[in-house]
Amino acid sequence: MHRNMRNSFRWQEKPRMCYQPSDDLFYWKIHTKTPSFFSTLKQDAAAGSSSMMSLRALALIGASISGILSFGTITSADEAEHGLPAPNYPWPHKGILSSYDHASIRRGHQVYQQVCASCHSMSLVSYRDLVGVAYTEEETKAMAAEIEVVDGPNDEGEMFTRPGKLSDRFPQPYPNEQAARFVNGGAYPPDLSLITKARHNGQNYVFALLTGYRDPPAGVAIRDGLHYNPYFPGGAIAMPQMLIDGAVEYEDGTPATESQMGKDVVTFLSWAAEPEMEERKLMGFKWIFVLSLALLQAAYYRRLKWSVFKSRKLVVDAVN
Amino acid sequence: MADEELVDPKLYLEETCKPKCVRPLRAYQACIERIKGDESGHKHCTGQYFDYWKCVDQCAALKLFDKLK
Repeated sequence: MHRNMRNSFRWQEKPRMCYQPSDDLFYWKIHTKTPSFFSTLKQDAAAGSSSMMSLRALALIGASISGILSFGTITSADEAEHGLPAPNYPWPHKGILSSYDHASIRRGHQVYQQVCASCHSMSLVSYRDLVGVAYTEEETKAMAAEIEVVDGPNDEGEMFTRPGKLSDRFPQPYPNEQAARFVNGGAYPPDLSLITKARHNGQNYVFALLTGYRDPPAGVAIRDGLHYNPYFPGGAIAMPQMLIDGAVEYEDGTPATESQMGKDVVTFLSWAAEPEMEERKLMGFKWIFVLSLALLQAAYYRRLKWSVFKSRKLVVDAVN
Repeated sequence: MADEELVDPKLYLEETCKPKCVRPLRAYQACIERIKGDESGHKHCTGQYFDYWKCVDQCAALKLFDKLK
């Protein structure tokens, strides 16, 4: 009787506790044969319809060749379009716990003021931001007082001009974008407040651009009014070379070579775009350390609580 | 400091890096020769120029900041 019952139950699956691959329809779909492109080729060949096979094969080969060829034409047009990639310079503030070179920020601000401010605005930076970073409060107040700011209206309803204060933003060279374009041959000198964050690989790019004015390659002609710069996308930039040896006389006596001015002004621009960098690095280092300790604690606590289930033993009591 | 003549260290470094980048330089010069007689204005050597200056840039970038304050 027992044997008969066993034979009659043969078609049933044995009781099981866990997932079997055959449960999954997706599993079946992968493991059953579905006709593919290549198998249709073989089938056609087997069936003797050689014309169909050669047409398919030709289509496949033709598509792949034209795809590869089009890549070739794209790369040759792209080089000047993207500009020469800037090399990676070893900026002193690059390390995980490195701060800015504040003397360099001070020199860079001097370069900005004397060379760049005639065309480029930095309308997001105020004079008070410089206090404690590049200048003392008295120096900054004196610097701000040199500019005239439109304020008002006064009690009589009129706008008036007054000397600048710490709370004023850096002065703008042009009243609006249209005026800037008109004076510069249609090109707009961008605002530099965030320029090192607004360009890919910003710090290296700006330094390479400022110090990278060279003769164009053979066969490349730049029209009047533009200048060749390999790092600028397209190669033709409206700005002429501005950093020339000796253009600025540094207060601290540093020799003002083109690359020295470039390094200082890019350090200044990096500070302007990321004034919080030093505090951010300190905070980041501290909190990554704290969170790693917390991770170790959490991992231990999880494993402690789960040890109950991980060491559980199940007994299967089935009659077969 | 009697520094009437400011010498830009970048230019000096680019000169010293030229021997290391002879191969792309020769390729660029060969390209110039090839397109010498071209009247169409479509031929240019930007590719070889970029290869050469990429090599010089990478060589000079390592040492430049050591020479600056």
